[in-house]
Amino acid sequence: MEEKLLTQHFGIENLFKIDVYLKHSGYQAVKKALKEMKPSEIMDEVKAANLRGRGGAGFPAGVKWGFVPQDIDKPKYLCVNADEGEPGTFKDRYIMSHNPHLLLEGIIIASFAVGIHKGFVYIRGEYETIALRFEQAISEANKEGFLGKNILGTGFDLNVFVHRGAGSYICGEETALLESIEGKRGNPRLKPPFPASVGLFGCPTVINNVETLSNVPQIILNGAKWFCQKGLPKDGGTRIFGVSGMVKNPGIYELPMGTNLKDIIFKHAGGMKDGKKLKAVIPGGMSAPILTADEIDIKMDFDSLMDAKSMLGSAAIIVIDEDTSILDVLKVITKFYSHESCGQCTPCRVGNSWINKIVKRIAGGKGKKEDIDNIIRLASNMLGKTLCPLGDAAAMPILSITQKFRKEIESYIGN
Amino acid sequence: MIKIFIDEKAIEVEKSTTILKAAEQAGIDIPHLCYHPAFPPEGTCRMCLVEIEGLPSLELACSTQVKDGMKVSTKSERVIEARKGVLEFLLAEHPPDCPICDKAGECSLQDYYEEYGQFENQFNEFKEKREKKVKIGKNLIRDMERCILCRRCVRFLKEVTKTQELGVFERGIHSEINILDGVLVDNNYSGNLAEICPVGAMTDSDFRFKTRTWFLKKGESICPLCSRGCSIFIEYHEGFSRFTLPKRVYRIRSRENHKVNGFWICDIGRYGYSYIDENRIDKIIVNNKEGGETITWEKMVILLAEKIKRLYYIKKTSRIALILNTWLSNEELFLINKIFRNDLSVENIYFTDPPEGEEDDLLLTSERSPNKRGAREIGLDLKPINLETLADKTDLLLIFGSFMFDQFNLAEIKSALDNIKMKIIFATHSNEMNSLVDIVLPMSLIAEKEGSLTNVDGIVQRFSPVLMAQGECQPEWKVLVNLAKELEINFRYYSQFSSPEAILDEMGKKISFFEKKSE
Repeated sequence: MEEKLLTQHFGIENLFKIDVYLKHSGYQAVKKALKEMKPSEIMDEVKAANLRGRGGAGFPAGVKWGFVPQDIDKPKYLCVNADEGEPGTFKDRYIMSHNPHLLLEGIIIASFAVGIHKGFVYIRGEYETIALRFEQAISEANKEGFLGKNILGTGFDLNVFVHRGAGSYICGEETALLESIEGKRGNPRLKPPFPASVGLFGCPTVINNVETLSNVPQIILNGAKWFCQKGLPKDGGTRIFGVSGMVKNPGIYELPMGTNLKDIIFKHAGGMKDGKKLKAVIPGGMSAPILTADEIDIKMDFDSLMDAKSMLGSAAIIVIDEDTSILDVLKVITKFYSHESCGQCTPCRVGNSWINKIVKRIAGGKGKKEDIDNIIRLASNMLGKTLCPLGDAAAMPILSITQKFRKEIESYIGN
Repeated sequence: MIKIFIDEKAIEVEKSTTILKAAEQAGIDIPHLCYHPAFPPEGTCRMCLVEIEGLPSLELACSTQVKDGMKVSTKSERVIEARKGVLEFLLAEHPPDCPICDKAGECSLQDYYEEYGQFENQFNEFKEKREKKVKIGKNLIRDMERCILCRRCVRFLKEVTKTQELGVFERGIHSEINILDGVLVDNNYSGNLAEICPVGAMTDSDFRFKTRTWFLKKGESICPLCSRGCSIFIEYHEGFSRFTLPKRVYRIRSRENHKVNGFWICDIGRYGYSYIDENRIDKIIVNNKEGGETITWEKMVILLAEKIKRLYYIKKTSRIALILNTWLSNEELFLINKIFRNDLSVENIYFTDPPEGEEDDLLLTSERSPNKRGAREIGLDLKPINLETLADKTDLLLIFGSFMFDQFNLAEIKSALDNIKMKIIFATHSNEMNSLVDIVLPMSLIAEKEGSLTNVDGIVQRFSPVLMAQGECQPEWKVLVNLAKELEINFRYYSQFSSPEAILDEMGKKISFFEKKSE
């Protein structure tokens, strides 16, 4: 049985309360980090652990922290990306509702390592109870002296605030998230400058995903080497896979980085629902290029999926069975991105809407022969040409679906 | 300075510049829509994507800074394809209404389609319904069908006027530029929005449907409506006199000048051009003669010179008075100062100008005439008129312009002028003033003559005629030179002034303020 790092205490009654959490070796990592380690040692340890960003991009967290300039007289900020908007993804909500203090520990340690005294947790608007629970956790931690002024007598100050989103996918993009916290419309910013140098309110900012930060306490307690052993040398730790779709047991599964996708679907998630045949899998949230049933014998880590021209993303596995029309999948995907495009840049604004209109027309029985090639051409004109990753996030699944399931889509187009 | 290569052409550029600016310096055009040099790069239109050697994806020319040895390609196949792709997106739902669009002929989207587009339309879907004609500002009509969402207008109101009347509403394909309920764009710089709009989404109701852009000629000039002296383009129908068409001038646009006005002009200067064509006079009028006797300029100048000479020989030039204004150029004020104050020792020199107005912290000054500073630097005292003294002490009165009306009413002026034997007005427009004097001389406007003006900050700016002088109209400087020569007090000195340039040269020698300026 695989060891669980993040979800090991899930199921303990009232774990979200600090007294229960403290009984299960809670805040040991914070004590160790703040009292026994130097900020640079923490940063080195996290770098060595090869903790890669769990939000989707997979950028090493320690390296990201290292980009923040230290000799600067501006304040520095930490923003926790708890916007969890990638369709199919539902891991962060579990961490925050079951074990909010684990995330808080990660926040405190990361802030201490980078020299941050103010953190914002950007929680998506729909997660109302989670936001309330997390605010409760913050006030408990304040009372116990893990937050606020002079934490554990070390002289380190940190305040954490909850900022709730208002329901837009794009606000999960890091710079749009910053705009949103600043009280503006959540439009992604032009990069460079990157948030590490010019972020929230124009100050250096670290932005990390919930799951990423929740891994930090384990690294501090057990060390980078141990962490890498729990996953892969270049991709440490476990991953919370959120399996949804036509499987017997949908839900979250914390498994070592690099677990085989086939095993996740057929062993852990109990296989296909109602004994249907597998048609396709979206392996890393809706933005990830689709895998056909023949392609699922693959290790679930950032590099292996990239080699297969897909991506691990948020590790949200969406399982599609033989009865599901691939055109319906394409319709849902294109409708989503067309609806969520912020509208700032041309290819994303027009491309997504245009493709969605073509797909809807095909679904309405009025498809034309040239439509598929047109979709491919338009998606290619979006790919790599937009201001933020949303254009790519839309183009990648659209391209992979139309290319891999071209025959099926053609069958919806009459002569 | 560093060396970079654009399309294999080696160029030396400043370290911190962008690819787009570097290319511009090298004469290489990189298409762009959202980028405007007045604002930080926005990076949203995606038209300016270029290929940089060693980088996997195309990068924005508007925001990417150059690096030493960088090799940029603006014409590679990938770049051309990307441009085509962006144009296809921009034009997918764009209405094909160029034939009725005011922007046609100077529309970036139209130009770029000609140059980089030229594809068959493959958009076979329903277009979104958008508002076609909505008044969103004093002089602004917005057309969301044509809008490409470059947000130049939004950024202008945010960064330049700081009034923020416009914003982007909704998102994705439904994004639209709009105002908050009922709050129109109503600031003194709103006209710039129609000018910076790269397409026909923001049109100017003053210009809308009046003419086609390709019928217009444009000439460089200076706005005379306040003492900022903003650089402008006067755009007009060439080859038509104001008799065959209702007007020659169709619009005023800003002309980039970083010493004075940057990229902008105010609405007072932009929309206040009707004076150029309306109500002008173009003939010498002699009021006292019955039957409207005609007289040539030559005879006119001799007649005037005779009047002055008579007073000069009997040493009564103190009975001459002048009413000036600061719409006169540096050269004209210099000549007047020289002839009347120095040569003829005339003391009664007064000034009338349009009344001061409100100023703002952008461009508009409170002085609503272009050359107060110039008059002061020449040494003229901007003395206001005293009607009583004027009436008592004057036998010959030369009036420049009709601004007396801004200070006195008709009856007051009439009773004062009735006491004066000979009154001559140098006028540009027909008005009641003209009936109170003996002779009306038709004058050219700044748009029609040559000279220089000194703006509020002491910047001397030269201007050239854009429009043809109408009928018998002459510039004041020319009449003054001819008059001075006819006076024969210093014939040789005044003979050298064949052009305003020659006068400005002389000013540089005589007045230290104009020394360097006349170079």
